[in-house]
Amino acid sequence: MSGSEAAAVELDDVGRRWGRERVLREISLRVAPGRLVALNGSNGSGKTTLLRLLATRLRPSSGRGRIFGHDLVREAAAVRRRIGYLSVQSGSYGTLSARENLKLVATLVGADPAAVDSALRRVGLEPHADRRVRVFSSGMKRRLGLARLLLTDAELWLLDEPYASLDEDGRVLVDGLLDEAKRDGRTVLVVSHEPERLVGRVDAAIRLEQGRLHAVPLQARPRPEVPS
Amino acid sequence: MTTGRRATAGPLSDLRAVLAIAGKDLRSEARSRAATVATVFFSSVTLVVLAFALGRDSDLMTRAAPGVLWVALAFSGVISAAQAYQSDLADGAFEQLLTLPLPRAALFLGKLLANWFTMTVLGAVLLPVASVLFDAPIAGGVPQLLATVTLGTLGFAIVATFYAALTANLVARESLLPVLMFPVVVPVLLASVRATEAIVSGADPALAGDWIELLAGFDLVYLVVTSAIFHIVVEE
Amino acid sequence: MKHATPRRPGWLNLLGVVAVSALAIGAYLGLVASPADVNQGELIRVMYAHVSVAWVSFLAVGVAAFAGIAYLWRGAPRFDVISVAASEAALLYGTLTILGGMTYSKPTLNTFWTWDAKLTLTALMVALLAGVFIVRGLIDEPQRRGRVSAVILIVVLASLPLNYLAAEWFRTLHPAKSIDLTGGGVTMDAVMLRVLLFNVVAAALVFLWLLLQRVRIGMREAELDDRSAARGRSEAIHV
Repeated sequence: MSGSEAAAVELDDVGRRWGRERVLREISLRVAPGRLVALNGSNGSGKTTLLRLLATRLRPSSGRGRIFGHDLVREAAAVRRRIGYLSVQSGSYGTLSARENLKLVATLVGADPAAVDSALRRVGLEPHADRRVRVFSSGMKRRLGLARLLLTDAELWLLDEPYASLDEDGRVLVDGLLDEAKRDGRTVLVVSHEPERLVGRVDAAIRLEQGRLHAVPLQARPRPEVPS
Repeated sequence: MTTGRRATAGPLSDLRAVLAIAGKDLRSEARSRAATVATVFFSSVTLVVLAFALGRDSDLMTRAAPGVLWVALAFSGVISAAQAYQSDLADGAFEQLLTLPLPRAALFLGKLLANWFTMTVLGAVLLPVASVLFDAPIAGGVPQLLATVTLGTLGFAIVATFYAALTANLVARESLLPVLMFPVVVPVLLASVRATEAIVSGADPALAGDWIELLAGFDLVYLVVTSAIFHIVVEE
Repeated sequence: MKHATPRRPGWLNLLGVVAVSALAIGAYLGLVASPADVNQGELIRVMYAHVSVAWVSFLAVGVAAFAGIAYLWRGAPRFDVISVAASEAALLYGTLTILGGMTYSKPTLNTFWTWDAKLTLTALMVALLAGVFIVRGLIDEPQRRGRVSAVILIVVLASLPLNYLAAEWFRTLHPAKSIDLTGGGVTMDAVMLRVLLFNVVAAALVFLWLLLQRVRIGMREAELDDRSAARGRSEAIHV
């Protein structure tokens, strides 16, 4: 990957309001490709709103945004081809099985059908692949969301609380996925209420406070080499 | 750096996407049967109640049969349309779909297809029931009748699928959908009733053909307009 | 810092004077100066008010829909404001049309309502517009609100000709192969026609006046809404 590629994420004075309330204010951010960034902030600070905005679910009320050079509003379709979004909710159809849910996504993103099985295996859902998602625990639903993320094979991951509801095995799984993502050169933006877990892994951290973005200095430690 | 991105997007993959969405909806419905039970029950009740209400004048009943049929279909259509988005919204599944590189129009057409299919089946079932209950024997032209039911439910499904997406995210959703939909769906309803009348009475097959053509025209206009602007409806 | 509301511009006041005068003159012409109808006598005078507001109501819907399309395309708030203002005017004029129609049909046909195509169409239009306002009331975020109501107005606009055709042909035997837009089938006396056209223009002028006033208010509201928008650019955080 060349160093002259467009930034993975570029936000210029992006704002977002709900009615009269300003949830995001003048967010200006630049994330270089291949970076793993933690997004912190207290409850209600706008983290999910920011992720949804990057996932093209919300339009900015003001300002402009670009992902890999594609405008969030005017080239939203192009943006969607390059992002993978893990939302806080399960995001799956309860009346379908895990496998059926993933098969649907595979068809929609044009992924190889065989990828469904390998994704199920990777997240440890293979024994439950044909059970209806409705009977899944919240941890299992999370794993299914991660499997779906893998299917999208996206260059930018937007993760909203990936560790939530997971047991220790599940958390180790997420750790592993983050490490792999780093190795594969994916850009990752992670929202988490457990920043300690991410400390050794992320390249940088940013913090949302009352809708404004602040940089967070990391403790000094050697940065891992990123192969280009 | 993985590239691994999508297979070439094109009309074939779009078609596959439409069918996958429709299949998902139908499979989901077949398993939960929530909407099916509601619509079958509700439409039957509508027919029976109206049969009682009009029952004193047997001539009136026969003449009212086509109108009653379409009223029953329309009411149940609204219910099933509102239901169609329930499973999508339940766990944020729709939200997920909307972050995928899926053309909005494909999403719309997929849901439309599923809705249309279920309504057509309901219509085909209600036809003989209404014919019997209202003493309106079908003089002939069963193919024309099926064409009418198919085209009429299509027009209805187009408007319903479109507006249901809009109201799905709003607070007052259940009560709002019929309010928004009905003035728009009136041309389809009127044309369907007239066509059905013409066919059932067997009097003038050319007339029925005219109305069917008109119905198809209405469907086309609505289909083009709604699929073009659907992407705005599902924005947040 | 308080901004005083700017005074209403002179030309707008002038327009108001002209519009109201035209309305008054038109009413005089219709009620007094024009001839009574051969068949319907004095009752025909209702027609001048009724038909003129009817035509302007559809003009207003057209303006609302096209302003909505402009909003979708350009995103400038003034288009949404124009769309709302025109929708309100359309609702007003549509309601007046229905009242006029009822006033007309009671004495002549001894019923308050007929399923005449034009009246049906107006009633449906009023219902559709009410729907637009209900939906607007349920959406908080201004951009989404504007875009959704524009979308609904597009469907409304598409449905009007279809509703007209369906209602027109529903009661006749055959769907006609050609469309008769003159409607009413009344061959009009030349004087009456001129009076009618004058009234149409008067109604349109009043619509324009109301529209411009409403847009002024709406723009002011939008401005106040946006007041807390920050001016400065923020420093980009590089990661």
